[in-house]
Amino acid sequence: MLFLILALLSGVVGGLIVAAIPESRERLRNLIVILFTALGTLSCWVVGISAFSGQSIMLVGHIAGFTFSLGPDPLGALFGIIASSLWMFAAVYSFGYMSEKKRHRTYFTFFLLSFSVTLGVAFSGNLIVLYLFYELLTFTTYPLVIHERTPEAVKAGKKYFLYSLSGAGAILVAVVFTYSMSGNLSFSDKPILAGSVDPRLNWLLVLFIVGFGVKAAIMPLHRWLPSAMVAPTPVSALLHAVAVVYSGVYGVLRVIYSVFGHELISQLSFGRVLPWIAAFTILVGVIIATRQDILKRRLAYHTISQLSYILLGAFTLQPLGLAGAMLHMISYSILKVALFFSAGIISEQTGETEISKMIGVGWSLPKTMTIFGVASLGMIGMLPLNTFWSKYYLMQGGVEGGRWQVAVVLICSGIVNAFCFIPTVVDAFRGKRTEGVLNKERGKRLFLMLTPTAILAVVAIFIGLWPGSVWPGVEAVVDWFF
Amino acid sequence: MMTTAISSNLPVFVVIAPFIVAFILPTISRRLRLVESLTLVLSILLVVGAGLLTHYVKAQDTATFYSMGGWTAPWGIELKIDSLSAFFVLVVAGVSLPVSMFSVANLSGEVGNSYRTTRFYVLYLILIGALAGIAFTNDMFNVFVLIEVATLSSCGLVSARNEPVAAHASFTYLILSTLGSTLVLGGIGLIYILTGHLNMRHVSAELAQVWQSSPHVVWMAISFFLVGFGVKTAIFPLHIWLPDAHSTAPSPASAILSGLAVKGFLLCLLKVLYNVFGHSIIFEFGIDRLLVLAGSIAIVAGSIFAIAQDELKRRLAYSTVAQMGYLFLGLGLMNTQGLKGALFYLASHAIIKSALFLTSGVIISTTGKKNVRDLAGVGRKMPLTMAVFTISSLGLIGIPLFSGFIGKWHLLLGGLETGNFISVLTIIAGSVLCAAYLLPVIRIAYFGSAPEESKGWKDPGLPQKTSLVLLAALILFLGVFPDPILELAGSAAVNLLSSG
Repeated sequence: MLFLILALLSGVVGGLIVAAIPESRERLRNLIVILFTALGTLSCWVVGISAFSGQSIMLVGHIAGFTFSLGPDPLGALFGIIASSLWMFAAVYSFGYMSEKKRHRTYFTFFLLSFSVTLGVAFSGNLIVLYLFYELLTFTTYPLVIHERTPEAVKAGKKYFLYSLSGAGAILVAVVFTYSMSGNLSFSDKPILAGSVDPRLNWLLVLFIVGFGVKAAIMPLHRWLPSAMVAPTPVSALLHAVAVVYSGVYGVLRVIYSVFGHELISQLSFGRVLPWIAAFTILVGVIIATRQDILKRRLAYHTISQLSYILLGAFTLQPLGLAGAMLHMISYSILKVALFFSAGIISEQTGETEISKMIGVGWSLPKTMTIFGVASLGMIGMLPLNTFWSKYYLMQGGVEGGRWQVAVVLICSGIVNAFCFIPTVVDAFRGKRTEGVLNKERGKRLFLMLTPTAILAVVAIFIGLWPGSVWPGVEAVVDWFF
Repeated sequence: MMTTAISSNLPVFVVIAPFIVAFILPTISRRLRLVESLTLVLSILLVVGAGLLTHYVKAQDTATFYSMGGWTAPWGIELKIDSLSAFFVLVVAGVSLPVSMFSVANLSGEVGNSYRTTRFYVLYLILIGALAGIAFTNDMFNVFVLIEVATLSSCGLVSARNEPVAAHASFTYLILSTLGSTLVLGGIGLIYILTGHLNMRHVSAELAQVWQSSPHVVWMAISFFLVGFGVKTAIFPLHIWLPDAHSTAPSPASAILSGLAVKGFLLCLLKVLYNVFGHSIIFEFGIDRLLVLAGSIAIVAGSIFAIAQDELKRRLAYSTVAQMGYLFLGLGLMNTQGLKGALFYLASHAIIKSALFLTSGVIISTTGKKNVRDLAGVGRKMPLTMAVFTISSLGLIGIPLFSGFIGKWHLLLGGLETGNFISVLTIIAGSVLCAAYLLPVIRIAYFGSAPEESKGWKDPGLPQKTSLVLLAALILFLGVFPDPILELAGSAAVNLLSSG
């Protein structure tokens, strides 16, 4: 119980302290940020591991006629652990990245507030709490999106806001709808709507998917994501590749498995369409990604495609598919953050944001580009990397559910992924290493940025070699829902 | 003996007291402090009175009727004391207290010398008295008298600032509002011709017998009421007077006009529709669908107009047009959930819009900036003011744990219950649009780069701060502990739907 409260509050408390520290006290601020992030992450692990072993901790309160319950089941615990651990890496990276930027106080305040809110999403025990934190996440991340304060950033922020709030509106209607149908909104191992027969269930599912699909960037609701890339790189890496978009994915998973339940979904006509929507997003997303020249935009479209891997796994409604989805949720996030971190180092050290101008950058940033290369291999799904296993299970799930096409889609996507990143890596090391090239990977700032990136790559390889290390979490989620 | 005399006459006191004080004030207009303290004391007493009334109503199962001067119904004027009237009086008292407090030692800057300020207070109290009267009255002609009193005092408040723009806005308001009153009077006349009664209970009983024999007259009367009150409640597209009137008035007046006055007229419409005509007539003529449609159009159109405004107070005024749409929509849903939601939303919006107008008044008088795009730096220099503005905005958008959410939740439940998906869609669209016109204000105020001149900006004095904090606390309180008010609104909704 104590750890649950610690996990939820550390971000808020830390954020408020940071807000009170003057702009000039950089070291003190960094100390507070890392302390509170570490505290939250640690508590999150403790809570999460106990949730995997079947012990459930719940904070329940009755406010305003609604029951507010917070406490993770295995799915929430897994999301919480992924998000909080990556938050640590992003915090360290931010210290380096932000040291030459402005407005640290605002940045780190909202960085920490978003930490709490994301864990709130992860630990939500019913639909009302999920809706509340999902909505709040938009508010706490908005200042991070417009951090540069350029007209472009403000415009992207507006887009982000309108998309997210419209999505939240759809969710609110769906929640009220669910409430009027069943009178119950709590998540448990038994779905809320299990066994109900109502012709409107299809529409309810549409509302939910549209609502959460905005943040999960299901096409055609994805347009905010590429424009939100104007944010500072750690924000793009953490929020727009993991925390915010995962809250959407998490919402979709909740709807499928906790609200409707896989048995009910398989009877709904819209439920049978869902895998195709995800497959469409996977292929179109990655194809658009190959056509982008700005590296961060390419990564953004790639995110859109990869998120639908997770959704596709969940939409197969098979235990193996769900296992694949969970594995991909873990694996993809690690690699994608590493990719974004490398992209940030490239743009900071060389000033290049366009891929066509990155020819030869590998010679001045050898370590960065090596990590980038490793992560790229992971995106294709090659063996020493963790994503191999998630793709394997995703395909198994697809075939098991009678949809061999899933496997075809995933293989095609893997091939396009190769076209997406491998040329960039090859180009970076093209040409001869000339005398004038400087090694740009020196200094404290770069140390702070490079270390988390390198560790992430190592972790990805580790999981690839010993997938059993993450299996207990995956297994707990699958057992919980099947 | 004394206590029973007071408690049984409490409704009369609540209505009469503001008028009495209003007539005393001009005699002491030289001593502004005394005028202000008298108003404040009266506001506190009103809150106490409203609280006692609520307590009394909650203990009672049925409505109590009070005959003015001992003259019983067909001849005398009757007051009806039930959960609806207690609810509305509570809202009036609850909002007017912070507004009165805000005006202390602050108004003369906006309005002028002490003579003009006193005149403002006189009109203000007359308006409060009229609104309290509207809550209780059960007599059609009395309704007309009270809305005239409310309208004229509102016109006076609009022109309180000594500016040509204010006079122009006030004049437009006067003309249109008088047209509205005339239509209402016409409606009352038709009803009187048809039934021979003015007391709502008697009219309703008589109307149930005769309306089928002369449906055209009833239809005409309803149209008169709808358009007449429509002008006064500024339902789109009859709203054209409101943005000018509410944005040029001094900010406490804007707060009370946007927060309470339009709701008073809405309450009249509610009483006429539900207590006089009853739902069989409403259904017969399709008034329910008309109300939902009008409300939906108002929500969308009002919000879009609000987005287009750069002047802060005009933006808030158009927001009122939009928010009135929610109340119309709730009125038209014709079920307990929807009506309960609408009533709760009425209370919530009254508080929120007062807070928004008062904070924007503070911002405008401190910085001299009227336009949203010039507000950069306000968030840093006036933290409390902007915090209250933010809380109110979140409340209006309808984030959980803020009061607006509870209202919207019940409106949504009501909308789903009738299966009216247009209403559900517009409620949500309204929230998103509301975010689109309020959040830029917050963004610029907090994240914009402050100009040089912002050095001297600071939060207002203690009375103003207290009043703003009180309003913000009310928004949060209603969002977290809505039950007492929600129960009152719920029982009012049940009563309204079971009558007629």
